Amino acid sequence: MKFTWKIGGEAGFGIMTTGLLFSKIASRLGYEIFDYIEYPSLVRGGHNAYEVCVSDEKVTALEKNIDILVCLNKETFEKHKKRLHKNSLIIYDNQEFDFEDDYVKINVPFKNILKELNGEQIMKNTISLGASLAILGGEIKVLNDLIYEQFIKKGKEIIEFNQKFAKQGYDFVKNNYSKHIKIFLVEKQEKQEKLVLTGNDSFSLGAVAADCRFYASYPMTPSSSVLTNLASWQDKTGMIVRHAEDEISVINTALGASFAGLRVAVGTSGGGFALMVESLSFAGVAEIPIVVFLASRPGPATGMPTWTEQGDLLFATFAGHGEFPKIVFAPGDQEEMLELTLKAFNLADIYQTPVIVISDMYLSEGHRTIGKDWFEKVVGEYKINRGKIIDNSKVNPPNGGQKSKLENFLRYKITEDGISEKILPGTPGYFYQENSYEHLEDGHTTEEAEPRKNQVDKRNRKWQTYLDQDFQMPIFYGEEAEMVFVSWGSIKGIILEAQKQLAQKGIKTGFYHFNHIYPIDNEKVKKLFEKDKRYILVENNSWGQFGKLLTMETGIEIKEKILRYDGRPIEVEQIIRLIIKNF
Amino acid sequence: MSTIQDFTGYQPTWCPGCGDWGIGMAIKKALVDLGYSPSDVAIVFGIGCSGNMNDFVNAYALHSLHGRALPNAIGIKLANHKLPVIAVVGDGDCYGEGGNHLIHAARGNHDITVIVHDNRVYGLTTGQSAPTSPKGFKSKSTPLGLIEAPINPLALALTQGASFIAQTFAGDLNHMISMIKLALNHKGFSLVNILQPCVTFNKVNTYQYYLKRVYKLDDNYDKTDFKLALEKTLELNEEKFPLGVIYQIEKKSYHEQLPQLSDDLTLISKKRFEKINDLIKNFQ
Repeated sequence: MKFTWKIGGEAGFGIMTTGLLFSKIASRLGYEIFDYIEYPSLVRGGHNAYEVCVSDEKVTALEKNIDILVCLNKETFEKHKKRLHKNSLIIYDNQEFDFEDDYVKINVPFKNILKELNGEQIMKNTISLGASLAILGGEIKVLNDLIYEQFIKKGKEIIEFNQKFAKQGYDFVKNNYSKHIKIFLVEKQEKQEKLVLTGNDSFSLGAVAADCRFYASYPMTPSSSVLTNLASWQDKTGMIVRHAEDEISVINTALGASFAGLRVAVGTSGGGFALMVESLSFAGVAEIPIVVFLASRPGPATGMPTWTEQGDLLFATFAGHGEFPKIVFAPGDQEEMLELTLKAFNLADIYQTPVIVISDMYLSEGHRTIGKDWFEKVVGEYKINRGKIIDNSKVNPPNGGQKSKLENFLRYKITEDGISEKILPGTPGYFYQENSYEHLEDGHTTEEAEPRKNQVDKRNRKWQTYLDQDFQMPIFYGEEAEMVFVSWGSIKGIILEAQKQLAQKGIKTGFYHFNHIYPIDNEKVKKLFEKDKRYILVENNSWGQFGKLLTMETGIEIKEKILRYDGRPIEVEQIIRLIIKNF
Repeated sequence: MSTIQDFTGYQPTWCPGCGDWGIGMAIKKALVDLGYSPSDVAIVFGIGCSGNMNDFVNAYALHSLHGRALPNAIGIKLANHKLPVIAVVGDGDCYGEGGNHLIHAARGNHDITVIVHDNRVYGLTTGQSAPTSPKGFKSKSTPLGLIEAPINPLALALTQGASFIAQTFAGDLNHMISMIKLALNHKGFSLVNILQPCVTFNKVNTYQYYLKRVYKLDDNYDKTDFKLALEKTLELNEEKFPLGVIYQIEKKSYHEQLPQLSDDLTLISKKRFEKINDLIKNFQ
C-alpha cells in the first residue's frame, strides 16, 4: 500500500500545520511517511500546498500521482490536476467551486459546517482532516488525540470546540461516501514508534545530543526552524540561543563562545553564509572549532527563498579567503543528518576548524519517519570527543601555580598531525592568544617567512589526518551494473526510489552517494571510476557542481548529467525517463 | 599580586609619541590595580594600530577581524561570564566597520568593556579619514575634504542603552587608568572613548588641540541623569570634550537575565543536558 495525499489552499490559513498533522496521523497509525511543502515567500495570499506520501515501507521520494487531493480553494485543483488520475478522490466544497466529473468527487460542505458551528476560516483544515481520515478508513481517535495535544494549554473548551469540526468532517464522509472509503489508514497491529522529522529537526536534535551549548542565527529560510527549535528548548537544554543583529555578528559571537571553550554552531542559508565567509577564514587561521549549518535555497542573491536547490556546494567548499582546512558534509536524509551532525561537532573540536553541514530546502523542510529506537540507539552510543581541547581540571599549573610565574601556552605548537593542544581561557597560570594574523607557536603575530610556512604546513596537515582518520567513501547502493548514478546530499532518496522502479523493470543500476563532500581521498575515489561504465551525474543545480569538484580533485569527468534548477526537487520520473526513453 | 611586568608582552611597534603607548600602559595598570593576572581576563583586539596591542599585553586574547571584536567579546562573556571581557578597538574598527555591533551590544547591555582608541584617522592603512574625522578633514581618501559630519559615538551608545559611558584623554595617564578601572568594575555594557592624537597622520586633532578643548566633569556632575549626559555628549558639536564618567546607571546585564545561567555556574561549567527524550515527544 502506498498513496499520496495532498492539501492546498491560500497562504496564511494553516496548510502547513494541517499537513504535518496528517503526517503524524499516518505515523502514529504505524505507517511510514515522506512529505514536501510548496509555499511562496509570503505570509498571506499565495498558494500553499503540502503533500504526504504514505506507505507500509520506507518512503524516500515523492510519487508522480496524487490519490487524494484536498482543495480548500479552486486554485489548488487547477494547479495540481495534472497529477490526478481517474480514481483520484477530490475533497472539496461545491459551494466554493465545481469541476467536470473526471475524478471521484467527495463534496464536503465546509462552508455550511463553519456557519453552523460558528467557526473561523482556519477550521476548514480540521474538517478536511476529519474527512480525509474517514475516506482512508481510519478511526477518529488519533486525530482527537493530536487536537488535544495541540490545544492542551488553551483548555478543555478550545479542545472540544476543535474536535467538533473534525467530527463533522469525519461523520459527513462516513454517512455520505461510504462506498468510496479505502482501507488505507487502519491502525497497524504491530508498529514501532516513530519520529516525524525534517532535516532541520534532525540537525537541531543532533546539536543538542552533541552537547552544543551555543547557537547563533539570523532568521533565513530554509534554516530558520533550527533557530526556533533550539530557542524553544532553551529552558530545558540550557543552551544559549542568540538571534544576533546580522550574520556577521552571528558567527563572531559563536567564535567568541568557542574560543572560551563551548561547542557552538551557527545556521543560515546562502546569503547569510556569504556574510559569514570572512569570519570562516578567521576560524580557519585562528583554529577555532565551529559547526556551520547551511540550508541552501535557489540563488543567486535573494533568489527563490522558499524553493530548493543544491547551488552552494562549490561556494561552501571554497568559502573563505586564503588557504585553510575545512570539512564539508552533505547528509542524504534525516538519518544521515543526525549521524553527520553528531560527527560534525566532534570533528570541529578534533580538527579545530570549521565543519560545514549542507542541507537544502527539500531536506530541511520535508518530514520523514525515522524509528524512535534507532534514534535513541544512535544518540545513546554517541561519544563526545573534544580531541586536544583540554578541560581546566586536567591542566597542571606551571611552576606549582605561582601566579608570578605565568607561562605563555603554545597554542599553535607545531605537531605531526597538524593539531595543537588548547587549554581554556581562564586556566590559571597560563595565557595565550588566538590570532587572525599569521602567528608564531605562542600566538604572537609574525611576518617572518619560516614560521609562516611552518604554520601553513601545520594547518594543511589536518587534511591528511582527517583523510586517514575520519573520511568516509561514498555509500554504494544497488548492484554491480553497467549504469551507475553519482550524486550527493539530499537527492539520495529520489535516486533510491528510481533504482527500485528500474529494478522492477529488470534494469540493474548502481549508485554512489557522497555525503563526505570535502576533502575527498582522491586516489581511492578515482579507483571507483576505473571501469568503463555509463556514469550519470544527478544534481539539483545547473552546473553539475559536484561533478566539477570531482574533476578538479580526481580528473574524472562525468559527461552524462541529470540536472534540475527550476527550484523544484529532481523527480523520480526524470531519472527513469533518461534510462527508458519511452517511459 | 601580579605586576605590570606580568602583563607586558613584546616591545610595541607604535610610532614615537603615539597615544597608544599611554593607553596600553593604562590598561595594564588598571588590571594590576584591580588584582587581575593575565590568566584571569579575556581581551579581544580589533584590527588597527590599537588592535596591535595584542602582542604587547599578556592575557587570554583573541585578535579578531576588523570590526568584529564586540560580537567575539559577547560570545566569550556568555560562555564564561566569570571572566572579565575587554574589547580593545579603534574608531574605524568600532564606529565604522563594526558600527552595527556597537548599537546592539549597547542595546543588550552585554557585560563587556569596550576601550576605543579614537584618533579620528586611519593610522595602520597610512592616513585615510575615519568615521570620527571632523567635517572637511583632508586625508588620503578625502583629498578634497570629508563631506560627512563625524559620528557621535557617545551619543549613539547612550541612546542605544549603554549603562556606562566615559571619555578620557591619551595625554592623561592617571585619568585613563581611573576610567578603565571604573568601566571594568561596572556590571553591564561599558564604553570608554579615549581621545587620542595620531602624531603621524592627524595634523588637526593634536595634543595641543585637545589640551585646549578638554575639561574634567566636576564632582557635582550627576552621572545618572540621562538628559544631562545627552547634553554632554552633544558638546562634540562645539568641539568641547568632557572627560570623566558621563553616564552610569545600574541595569541588569544581558547574561544576568538568562535563566540558563546562575552566579556560580557558567555555561562552560554546567553539566551536559542528557534528557533528549523530553524533546522528541514533539515529533511523534
